[in-house]
Amino acid sequence: MSLAQGPGRAGGTSSEQELHTSKHVAYIKNLDTRKDELQYWLTEHLRLNGVYWGLTALHLLGHPDALPREETIDFVLSCQNDNGGFGAAPGHDAHMLYTVSAVQILVTIDAVDELDKQGRGANKKSASLQNRDDGSFMGDQWGETDTRFLYGALNALSLLGLLDLVDVPKTVTYVQSCENFDGAYGISPGTESHAGQVFTCIGALSIAGRLDLVNKDRLGAWLSERQVDNGGFNGRPEKLVDACYTWWVGSSLAMIDRLHWIDRKKLSAFVLQCQDPENGGFADRPGNMVDVYHTLFGLAGLSLLGVVDGLQEVDPI
Amino acid sequence: MASHGVRRFKPVEKTPEERQQELKQIEEYRSLESFVSKKVTAQDFSAETLKKISDLLSRNPEYYTVWNYRRQALRHQFSEAGDSAENVAELIAELIKDDLMFLIPLLRSFPKCYWIWNYRLWLLDEARRLLPLPAGRRFWQEELALVGKMLTLDSRNFHGWGYRRLVVETLKQLGTAEEAASMTQQEFEYAKKMIGANLSNFSAWHYRTKLILRLLEEQNASDEERRAMLDDELALIHQALIDPYDQSLWFYHQNLMCVFDPSVAPRTMAPNLGTSERLQYLRDEIAAIEEMLDGAEDCKYIYQSLIECTLLVSKVAGHMAAEDRTQILSWLSELKQLDPLRQQRWLDFEKTVST
Repeated sequence: MSLAQGPGRAGGTSSEQELHTSKHVAYIKNLDTRKDELQYWLTEHLRLNGVYWGLTALHLLGHPDALPREETIDFVLSCQNDNGGFGAAPGHDAHMLYTVSAVQILVTIDAVDELDKQGRGANKKSASLQNRDDGSFMGDQWGETDTRFLYGALNALSLLGLLDLVDVPKTVTYVQSCENFDGAYGISPGTESHAGQVFTCIGALSIAGRLDLVNKDRLGAWLSERQVDNGGFNGRPEKLVDACYTWWVGSSLAMIDRLHWIDRKKLSAFVLQCQDPENGGFADRPGNMVDVYHTLFGLAGLSLLGVVDGLQEVDPI
Repeated sequence: MASHGVRRFKPVEKTPEERQQELKQIEEYRSLESFVSKKVTAQDFSAETLKKISDLLSRNPEYYTVWNYRRQALRHQFSEAGDSAENVAELIAELIKDDLMFLIPLLRSFPKCYWIWNYRLWLLDEARRLLPLPAGRRFWQEELALVGKMLTLDSRNFHGWGYRRLVVETLKQLGTAEEAASMTQQEFEYAKKMIGANLSNFSAWHYRTKLILRLLEEQNASDEERRAMLDDELALIHQALIDPYDQSLWFYHQNLMCVFDPSVAPRTMAPNLGTSERLQYLRDEIAAIEEMLDGAEDCKYIYQSLIECTLLVSKVAGHMAAEDRTQILSWLSELKQLDPLRQQRWLDFEKTVST
């Protein structure tokens, strides 16, 4: 799976209303054939994420079998380290970001049991990365801590049915300490609210069954103010729009039952303008280079909004 | 990877020479990668290995595993440094200094790369762990200038702001209480300068909210001093709101209004205002914001703020007066006109006011 940009570019015009499903499927399927590009090799540190993004996008597009299952399982397991965690590619160090993708992929293709059959067992690595004093999570043994890893750990462990390995109440308290007066959340206590971090915090609270702690009207207001006149979402006040926030903001709104607070039609129209109608794929903004990350989060956003036909329904969490 | 803000260009068919060139680059890159990984597997952390690691990271700073290799290589070099205690500290300091220098051009070219920032923090933690306090502290001190430069280049970079917070926190831990207090003041001035340079910079406004709390706490401020700070902040934001179309300003305003919200007030800069004081402040605020409507009748943020302040009045007073309800509904009808994107939000809200 190549994480390289392009080859296409989002060429959608403002009258673009159609989802180019077959182009997107072809775009994703071709990603792994681009080994003659330097960018393919320079993005190896994202390979496992890339497989997750591509695979999930294909599922949303209704082509779940477009990637070969056995090869996918083999590749995922080849990324597992001795400590049980996963790296981005074979030989890369284990890190939470890739461990989550590995679990998500295996669950998606119904192959979690392969962890015990062929791999090094169900991954308990993520649980060991919790700071037992404050509930936060590190990305790996080198100590970087932020709410992305906290959400990732809860996500992976809940998919594996292993949530009891961590101190969930402490995790919840930590998430609460990241909340600001605007109702939104930052990457660690005291930092500025950011839509990506709102997703991780609300996602974590949702998995922990503690959405009751969220100030839904206040947060919903902050999130709905992410929509700007062209229909797209930005991630913070007075910043540029980006198609991927369709998912981070949209699913957060859905989790707190406020998705109807924004103009879904206008947002969908914006996302459709971010697709490349000729070569497939989505970009951050109309006119920019496409990539598989924006392809997944553009599609997931569209699926959530339910305005465009032809996509499988997505679960906001 | 995820390409942000990269303009599209017409895909041009590569010439055979260009293809050849690219294949050669791939080969070079892959052989460098395999060289480094073999050396690390063999635990060979010689100067040559470190040099190749540098080369690889310069080509690809997102390669997190190689940053981990670099940590191991540096630790190895620390353990081999010098033969006397004095000498050791000096050599380790030299190694850290060189490594910090190596990171500068990478940070400038890739200011949004998490791994570089993380690695830099790790390195500074090593300085703190391995060097005598003054030497360790000096390294941290110099980071303020660096992050200042980075934030001048991109004043909303959240890596930069987060990094600045960490550096300041650490410097406070490493210094005396007095030094810590003067740092808070210095940071307050910094945030002010950044806001002055661009009023839309919500990152700087956010930092300001945190610094005000810190300042007051460190000064053991009396309720009177806290009220004086609040008055200054209200004056400042009113002045800034000459441009009422800027969302960042209104979020700062909203943050200030928390002072008057009985359920949040204990965590704000003026926790001990009485009920009548809160009501007076809010009434003054509503009057001031209403004035802003003059010439900006189409500015939705003004109506939103008027509604929020009036709701706070009801919350403080314990009930909603009939005239306030009428007023809210009239602002709301403006808002429904002006803000079609969030139509349903306003309709939901209308139901809660009408009942």
